[in-house]
Amino acid sequence: MIYCLFAIVAVISLYTARHYWFTLNRLFGFQRHPYIDTDTADWPQVTILVAAHNEEKVISHILAALMGVNYPPEKMLVVPVNDRSTDRTREIIDRFCEDHPGRIRPFHRSAGKGGKAAALKDAMELVDTEVILIFDADYIPGTGLIKQLVAPFFDPEVGGVMGRVVPLNVGTNLLTRLLDLERSGGYQVDQQARMNLRLVPQHGGTVAGVRLSALREIGGWNDNSLTEDTDLTYRLLLHGWKTVYQNRSECYEEVPETWHVRVKQIMRWAKGHNQALASYGLHLLFGRHRATLRERIDGFLLLGVYIMAPVTLLGWLLALGVFYEGIAPLHGVIALLSITAYSAVGNFAAFFEIAAAARLDYTRQRICLLPFLILGFGVSIFSVSRAFISQLMAPLTGAQFHWDKTERFRTTP
Amino acid sequence: MTAVLATAGLFVLTGATFLLPLIPAFVEFHFKRDAQALNVIQQYAGDIRHFSFGFRSYAADLLGPLKECVASAGTASGTLPHGDRYLLLGRPDTAQLLSPGNSEKTCDLIIAAGTELTLPDGITFAKEMYASRNLIGGENCTYRAILADAGIRLRRASKVIRWAHAAEDIHAEQDCDLYGRVSSDRKITLESGCFFQRLHAPHISFGPASLSALPNAAPRVGASAEPFSISVAAGRRLVDEDLEIPAGEIVRSSIVTRGSLRIGAGAQILGSVKSNHHMAIDSGAVIAGSLISATTMHIGANCQITGPVIAEQEMTIESGSRFGTAEKSTTVSAPVIEVAEGVQAFGTIWARYEGYVVTRK
Repeated sequence: MIYCLFAIVAVISLYTARHYWFTLNRLFGFQRHPYIDTDTADWPQVTILVAAHNEEKVISHILAALMGVNYPPEKMLVVPVNDRSTDRTREIIDRFCEDHPGRIRPFHRSAGKGGKAAALKDAMELVDTEVILIFDADYIPGTGLIKQLVAPFFDPEVGGVMGRVVPLNVGTNLLTRLLDLERSGGYQVDQQARMNLRLVPQHGGTVAGVRLSALREIGGWNDNSLTEDTDLTYRLLLHGWKTVYQNRSECYEEVPETWHVRVKQIMRWAKGHNQALASYGLHLLFGRHRATLRERIDGFLLLGVYIMAPVTLLGWLLALGVFYEGIAPLHGVIALLSITAYSAVGNFAAFFEIAAAARLDYTRQRICLLPFLILGFGVSIFSVSRAFISQLMAPLTGAQFHWDKTERFRTTP
Repeated sequence: MTAVLATAGLFVLTGATFLLPLIPAFVEFHFKRDAQALNVIQQYAGDIRHFSFGFRSYAADLLGPLKECVASAGTASGTLPHGDRYLLLGRPDTAQLLSPGNSEKTCDLIIAAGTELTLPDGITFAKEMYASRNLIGGENCTYRAILADAGIRLRRASKVIRWAHAAEDIHAEQDCDLYGRVSSDRKITLESGCFFQRLHAPHISFGPASLSALPNAAPRVGASAEPFSISVAAGRRLVDEDLEIPAGEIVRSSIVTRGSLRIGAGAQILGSVKSNHHMAIDSGAVIAGSLISATTMHIGANCQITGPVIAEQEMTIESGSRFGTAEKSTTVSAPVIEVAEGVQAFGTIWARYEGYVVTRK
């Protein structure tokens, strides 16, 4: 039992060191933004896929925003992927088509497998451009965003690109404020540090792009995956394509406003991530492919982030067990030192990362909410662990993976 | 009863002590002092003329009075609503630029000129300047920012601190320092010794006009072939080590190398090229797509590159090389760029830290 606990502490320490490495790199390291200065070019044809399933509250916003971007209109086709919507989504899309002839070609899907990846896979019949951008329907791209996301594809090594997600409905309640902090840490520090260090920036599946030839080479969208973005990241990596992160390509999104929706969202993410871990983890670490050593290690650690929740819970249980069993190596000195060190340094790592992100964003007061994040982490750790257990039990219970769409909260039509 | 109260009091006190560090969190949560979405500028499109547009609208109120000054061949002065003092010149009279006894030769007025204007040497213009006709600077002048509806000629050793935009040509003579953004709707010419950061124009030329004509050393590849701005239609070739493409070779795909890359003289690449280490392009090479280096890049003489050119560290470009075409403009970008006289570009050249124009002996 004690050795199992030691192993868990070692893994947690590894993630702690990773948090610090990323944060210090963002604060003091060289920042890579190699493609962001490309503002003039013979821009390629691009198809913009907008995934939409019952999005009547938000779909008009993104279509209006896309019609206002500064990308050459004759080189840009917007394809709203209306996936079996039962609300007014289809009607709104068709109205936009009439108002902007030739610029929007809708893909209305009334049957077929559920989930975003399946819908995107079917929509590929309308895509013949080398560059594809993907947005979820609740996003609002700014004027210059499309050029910024297309620019990295001039690099023949780049197969995928990811922009920064910025919550729009920050001030709604405590949850949205905590998610704003989490997103800030995840993008401003984690993703950009991975870009700086030439590790594995993650494709997020929205505010993102993929190269058609790369997508074809890796076998297209995986409609069995709950997180098609994570799946895409790793298949691109294994085939020698880079995913790049553009921290300055920012786009507003709507974050969940209720804990129930948040729990469902993070459980889907956890299951999808774990799926990818099972599918690609060992091959990534030990297989014959083009990923570098640092990409292999970072990629594996990234795949393991959602496993860390049940592992941490197990660690807590083991710690209790060790205590009640009376096991105390070196008369408890190691336990005491471990607790002290982890409380002082390790446990603080994620908070340090988010605090650094807030500083990099030049925000001042929101950092005060940092202690409340323990609430968000608490909910996450149990939700993710629950997702993991249900995944383990699925073969016994016969439960099927299914896609839970994230509910929208925007009220303006 | 006393014991119960004491216990309860102890609990409350302990709880309050634990809550004390959370007071800033509760205050922020309650008052929402910083609960706005991050300021993502939705309308900012990265246009290099952003500041010139802003200044044009800021100074819009001056245009009417300026026309009157031109009509009457007079001058006028006053104060804008934001408190900036201005001087309107309806005739090429520079005597009023400096107040009497101004030994530091600093003009702290917004200048708006309605006629062609030739400035005296050595003046520092601390505020923006607008010229509706050609503006010819003096030697050793320093400008905060210039907007011209015609052309701008910056005489030797002048400085632009923030930005300059001209509807017609901008010509910077030797040893000028152009910080920030410099753009023209027609052409920018920089002579040797100039420092620059971000340049944008349909045509950018380095060095004297005598070097502007591109020698015919680099034949256009596949005049009948479609150039690839995004190259993978031709497939890509992945190489895990250093690669050298022999002189005169024609490669019909894109190339990605993990190591360094050398493209021999006169070689022709129909796709795009990426190197994860140093990239050297020998003279006369032709690249139909883009050219990307994760470190440094050296582009030899008389090369011709159609797509974007990016180096993550330093880039040196030799005389006679040409980037983009008049029909297909492009971007050349690196933190540090050294350009020899005789280079031509169509579009944007962006040296994020510093760019220099040098003379090769």
